[in-house]
Amino acid sequence: MDFDFSSLFAFLLFGVTIGVVYGIVALGISLIYSGLDIVHFAHGEIYMFGAFFGLVFSHTMGFPYPVALLLAMVCAAVLGMGIERVFYRRLTKGGGGYTVAGMGMIICGFGMSIVLMNIAFLIWGAAAEPFPVDLGMPFQLGDITLPKSYALTAVVAVLLMAALHYFLKKTKLGLAVRAVAANKDIAYLMGINVPMMISLIFGLACGIAAAAGVLIGPMQSVQVEMGYLMLLKAFAAAVVGGFGSLPGAIAGGIVVGIAENLGAAYISPNHKDIYAFLLLILVLMIKPSGLFGIVARVKA
Amino acid sequence: MLKVSGLSTGYGKLQILRGIDLNVAEGGIVTLLGGNGTGKSTFLKALSGLLPVWEGSIEFDGQKIQNLPPHEIVRCGLTQVTQGKDAYPAMTVEENLKLGAYVRKDKIAIAEDLERVYSFFPRLLERRTQLAATLSGGEVQMLVIGRGLMARPKLLMLDEPSAALAPKIIMDIFATINRIRKSGVSILMVEQNVRMALLLAEYGYIIRDGVILIKGDAKDLINDPNVKKSFLGGTVANSTHEIKA
Amino acid sequence: MSIFNKNFIAAGMAGVFVAGMAASAMSADIRVGITMRMISENGQRYGQMVMDEIDMINESGGINGNMLKATLMNDECKSDKGVANAIKLINQQKVHILIGSTCSSVSLPIVDITEKAGVPQIIPHSTNDKITKKGSAWVFRVPVSGRYYAGVNAKYVGENIGKKIAYLCAADAASQNDCDAMQSQMKSQHGADPAYVAQVQEKEVDFRTHMQKIKSAGVDGIMIAALAETMARALTQSYEAGIPASVRRIGSSSASNSPVPSIAGDAAKGVFFAAAYAAADSRPIARLFNEMVKKRYGVNSPDHDFSQAYDLVRITEIALKNADLKLDDENLAADRTAIRDAIANVKDYNGLASGPISFCAAATPQCRDGNRTAVLIAYTKGGKDYKTEVLARVTMPIDFGL
Repeated sequence: MDFDFSSLFAFLLFGVTIGVVYGIVALGISLIYSGLDIVHFAHGEIYMFGAFFGLVFSHTMGFPYPVALLLAMVCAAVLGMGIERVFYRRLTKGGGGYTVAGMGMIICGFGMSIVLMNIAFLIWGAAAEPFPVDLGMPFQLGDITLPKSYALTAVVAVLLMAALHYFLKKTKLGLAVRAVAANKDIAYLMGINVPMMISLIFGLACGIAAAAGVLIGPMQSVQVEMGYLMLLKAFAAAVVGGFGSLPGAIAGGIVVGIAENLGAAYISPNHKDIYAFLLLILVLMIKPSGLFGIVARVKA
Repeated sequence: MLKVSGLSTGYGKLQILRGIDLNVAEGGIVTLLGGNGTGKSTFLKALSGLLPVWEGSIEFDGQKIQNLPPHEIVRCGLTQVTQGKDAYPAMTVEENLKLGAYVRKDKIAIAEDLERVYSFFPRLLERRTQLAATLSGGEVQMLVIGRGLMARPKLLMLDEPSAALAPKIIMDIFATINRIRKSGVSILMVEQNVRMALLLAEYGYIIRDGVILIKGDAKDLINDPNVKKSFLGGTVANSTHEIKA
Repeated sequence: MSIFNKNFIAAGMAGVFVAGMAASAMSADIRVGITMRMISENGQRYGQMVMDEIDMINESGGINGNMLKATLMNDECKSDKGVANAIKLINQQKVHILIGSTCSSVSLPIVDITEKAGVPQIIPHSTNDKITKKGSAWVFRVPVSGRYYAGVNAKYVGENIGKKIAYLCAADAASQNDCDAMQSQMKSQHGADPAYVAQVQEKEVDFRTHMQKIKSAGVDGIMIAALAETMARALTQSYEAGIPASVRRIGSSSASNSPVPSIAGDAAKGVFFAAAYAAADSRPIARLFNEMVKKRYGVNSPDHDFSQAYDLVRITEIALKNADLKLDDENLAADRTAIRDAIANVKDYNGLASGPISFCAAATPQCRDGNRTAVLIAYTKGGKDYKTEVLARVTMPIDFGL
């Protein structure tokens, strides 16, 4: 393939618009990681549930798309909090990260992913559901057509980032969440209800994943098996951006999206996912803290 | 104010404390002394609710608080100040202090208390927007004490406030603790720096292997030959520093 | 009281025993083993239809007075499960004939098992060339082999659309197979090299970079070889990228599956693919079949997977009627051979399929790929109530693609 400079802008744009979706899911994964030191492997399925919730609200119940987006986020948040309260809490009580309980938590995450997939299968069946949303005519940027759904995704991603940043840096509850993330024992001594904050972290992360699911709905069909590939990409995004770093998650997602699309455009079009994971390996080799990560996050 | 009787606890199956009795009177300073690994910090963790109480009772301000969740114990007015390394390094000084007031809703009083802490520790005011990670050892110790005060506790429990600090700074810290007591806060202080602690406290307990070995008025203990021989070792006990009240 | 009870039970058991003996003396069961992919909704319906048709044969008196006893197992389109099913059906159920499977990846390894055990295997819908190239004397293929499909597609594309074709190939085995076959047919029939080739993940979400490159390459057609949902997604994005409808979209064999038009909606319009059955077929047998499938299984416009499953039962029925069966334990091997030879003798069966189905005795693809006529079907309307039309009906030479 010759070097197609004329389309470079298009490839970058595609990379950014799909990258922010990876980034939104990565945001949740990073949030849970920074809160509990665990990687939540059922997060792809929460994203899938979010997409189905969105579909139910917007198509079955007829809510407008933005309302369906918010309702799906709320439902997924409640679902995530429920799962955390009923299943994960017994394990996280023992500690996260590299402890024995942390290992159990990772396995529990895998199990939960299978359970959720089967529940979704029982409710919605295996067939993929179309999720058409009429947002009007696509934007025409010169030669490139950009459907509004992609633009909306980018806007929502930035809004979510900003809202999360404001919440964590400027509110008392956000301060408490950060305290729990950094050191649970000390957070207890501050009078913070630590289990409730962990629930809150889960709820937030799951709500954010649902947003990604609803946003990607118009771009692809909604299907029970849609979660695992997204989890892999989001995981790559989170690591590339610096695990646990929230702005890093979105930035990492964009970098992964661009790497994939430029790789497919200029190196070889085959299996563009390889570029995401190649990048992941490179980052881990050269800068393990991630491109935008804080150097070895200080924990008390 | 605080009445602990027959307290036993430990980690997992490993018992650390065996039937501790300890009292703190309102407005006083009581110190719990002992070497490394004698169970001092374990005792504070049990009081704060971070460890389950196996046996015995903890009565605070007329209320049984054993095995309440830790965040509710804080709401009762019992606040533990951990060692200086337990500040939140990735947060600013002011954020750390505001976290201390997490259980409170009275915004105006919180702002007043913030001023009060800054008046106790003017160094913190200078550094209020810096990350805690950038503070010196003494400043961090001031920060965690200040953070404890922000909860407006009835009883402040201090875990080795003099640990790993230079003598000059230890003097400052102890002087401040004395000022805090005078402002009406009762204090339970765990220390290894036995002489200094006994100079400040009214009453002392000496713990070893999870049991209270000796207890008595501070001024008696300081001259007790047993205390001197068994626990004080050389240098610190012979320290001639006096605490300026 | 208790003595009476015991006697009663003993008498009852004796009665059952005698009755069983009598039954086996007069007529016996022809045991039919079936392994199919029963995971998707349609997969379950194909299996159900095979079982229903067998029940109807039994209700109308069976085969020469013998009842068919069918065992249906689910292989989930996984080769290990399919192999385990086949072994169980052959060795434990001692079936006389094995029907299966839906997926080439499952049918292929089963070919070795049925050959070794000497059990006739008749395949409802696997298209991989290799199935009949293995040289087993025991295998028969009712559907159209992949070698004919690609040939038909390439012939039509080269003659009517153009030679500059881009390929998007998903990583699943069936799509890879379709994609490779199409490329080699375009090369051998028209000397055309692919204008663009990209391998993608089976669940790929974002095809826009590929579409942009295809758009700048200025091609005559795009072949999208992928499973239904992925294909639908790629179709939609090809229009989002601004590739005009004049660039024809060519589907792989999964394009016949209903999720393609129902998910892709308007983007499915104009997509065409080769198949063994067209629901738009105007013959009375096809009209009746469409009505039957709609009534029994609630499926509008059944695809060729339905028609092939139906044809398979009919062919099996014909062969069993012509075979001289003893149906006792000593003659199991002889009965299996008799059924094999009877299937090999089926000539010019005219059922639902796109063309006549004939088998012969040699263990070659020429003898065992029964149907060599494919129809090219195009969607004229997308959405849940999609519509199709027949573009062309092409019969290939018997040696084609070998």
